[in-house]
Amino acid sequence: MSVKPVNPPRDESELPGSFSTRYMRINVGPQHPSTHGVLRLVVDLDGEQIVSVKPQVGYLHTGFEKTMENRTYQQCVTYSNRMDYLHAFAHDLAYVLAVEKLMDARVPVRAQRIRVILTELNRIASHLVFFGTGMLDMGALTPYFYCMREREGLMDIFEAVSGVRMNYGYFRVGGLYQDVPDTFEQMVRTWIDAFPKHADEYYNLFMANSILKARTQGVAVVTRDMAIDYALTGPSARASGVPLDYRKAAPYSTYDEYVFDVPTREEGDIYARMAVRFEEMLESCKIVRQALDMLEPGPVKDPDRRISLPPRRELENSMEAVIFHFKLVTEGFHPPKGEVYVPTESARGELGYYVISDGGSMPYRVKVKAPSLANLQSLEPSSIGGLFADMVINIASFDPVLGDVDK
Amino acid sequence: MSDALLEDLVPLGANRAAALAALVELGGVAGEGKEMLNVTVPKAKVVEALRACRAAGLEMLTDIFGIDYLTYPGHRGKRFAVVYNVHDVRGTDRLFVRVEVDDGESVPTATEVWRGADFLERETFDMLGIEFEGHPNLRKLLTPEDLDGHPHRKDFPLGETPTLFNDGRFLDPAAFRAGLTGRNPGLTGWSGGARRGVTSTEGTLPDEGRGKA
Repeated sequence: MSVKPVNPPRDESELPGSFSTRYMRINVGPQHPSTHGVLRLVVDLDGEQIVSVKPQVGYLHTGFEKTMENRTYQQCVTYSNRMDYLHAFAHDLAYVLAVEKLMDARVPVRAQRIRVILTELNRIASHLVFFGTGMLDMGALTPYFYCMREREGLMDIFEAVSGVRMNYGYFRVGGLYQDVPDTFEQMVRTWIDAFPKHADEYYNLFMANSILKARTQGVAVVTRDMAIDYALTGPSARASGVPLDYRKAAPYSTYDEYVFDVPTREEGDIYARMAVRFEEMLESCKIVRQALDMLEPGPVKDPDRRISLPPRRELENSMEAVIFHFKLVTEGFHPPKGEVYVPTESARGELGYYVISDGGSMPYRVKVKAPSLANLQSLEPSSIGGLFADMVINIASFDPVLGDVDK
Repeated sequence: MSDALLEDLVPLGANRAAALAALVELGGVAGEGKEMLNVTVPKAKVVEALRACRAAGLEMLTDIFGIDYLTYPGHRGKRFAVVYNVHDVRGTDRLFVRVEVDDGESVPTATEVWRGADFLERETFDMLGIEFEGHPNLRKLLTPEDLDGHPHRKDFPLGETPTLFNDGRFLDPAAFRAGLTGRNPGLTGWSGGARRGVTSTEGTLPDEGRGKA
């Protein structure tokens, strides 16, 4: 599909907001299913063609960063996962990695591998929601049910591990809340053995579908230069030929031990953004399988008493253990003064927590580098000149989570 | 800190080394974080410094944010720091460019260097009230239009904030709570017992009307 260049306005009176009828200003959202959250867009149209798109965000602003300044380091895990509710484990991981670096914590290998398994499974779950809801915007109802069926299996795993299906809060500074249940390994193996076969079906069902290709190929192109200029990260950037993946560039949590590829595309259109995510799900499966094979029994918490609660059995016969327990729960630990930033790869892009400690038991300042906010900026340049109906699937193709945008 | 010492401490990638050299030439002072490299540059040179970073291969600006050091123990220097998080396209080299500003000072905008700086500068302005000179559209990004103040400042009141709504209603939390507990009728006009409701609070200040209902 060829994209026509936008005709420039002939004079001042034709600009949006004047009495001229050439341009039409349309309000999209904030309460509309196609905006994937409470995103409001002010769109100027010339007929069917888009002249400008102005995202208005902030409807979900919750002040998490400010709240975290008034909670102990351990309590902040409650807040981090509420920002990106679709890839919650990634936010937890990014936060605890930053604090662990501040504390010089030594996280046991078993805990790191379990973190990787859960984060990657969650990445698949997030991409499944991307496909389900994204296809829904194109009018395809069937993929939604398949994607949700797959995701249900993952939700069961997360529920078995953390007790809840959303807002897990399972990672702790220095390790995990507790070890995974005995059924964990079997549950994960069953799921990842079945998924690639199902993924083949889905590939034939939607990615190889000629109607979908006609609708998405060559539409809403983000060039490589544009991606760099607008700081696009994550799968959307990799679809434009920017090979940025922090699991490879700055490996954290034993990612350097697994063999996996980083799928990239050069086209930068909506189809490329979908294809990269599709391949990423299969790569995540590979990582999970390798991490499961390497998973060995062992502790899941840093034995350092500055960070971790003493084991339950010690509380019955050790006064010191009771004191440590009391101090950790009521006051929390005190990281040394300093500033840290650990970049990680979430399902949406670069995710990092810039944590500043003043030596107290609460962070002095937390700044979340959330990928969705920066990614949303690429919506306008890629939509201009295109059709209004394409803009709706373009929003979905960047996969914004509004909790992640507004923080 | 001399360059030689710095290279010992931080394993520099080629891009980062080139950017650091350019920044030091512009008057930047390198500082040390946990495996991070901070360079504080003079405020007047910030756009030049960011251009130098981009030319040296640190091509992406991922984030801009501000830090309020008002209550930071032992902090000397200006109150705010604006931090630019720049890295290369492979993600292996990263550098934090910092600018120090006082309350009321403005920083030149980076939107000429990266168009993606737009939202990031708006967020910084919204959260800390640091203005960016030459920004094409410096409006609040996340907080509601009728919120006074900038929430990430350390002197922003938490919780008990009297709120003036657009329609002229004024909500004073202390008075509101007093009204609910019945010790004082407060703004709700309720002092226990049967609920009487409020006839009109339009235009009343928090202390007027208290105790009359």
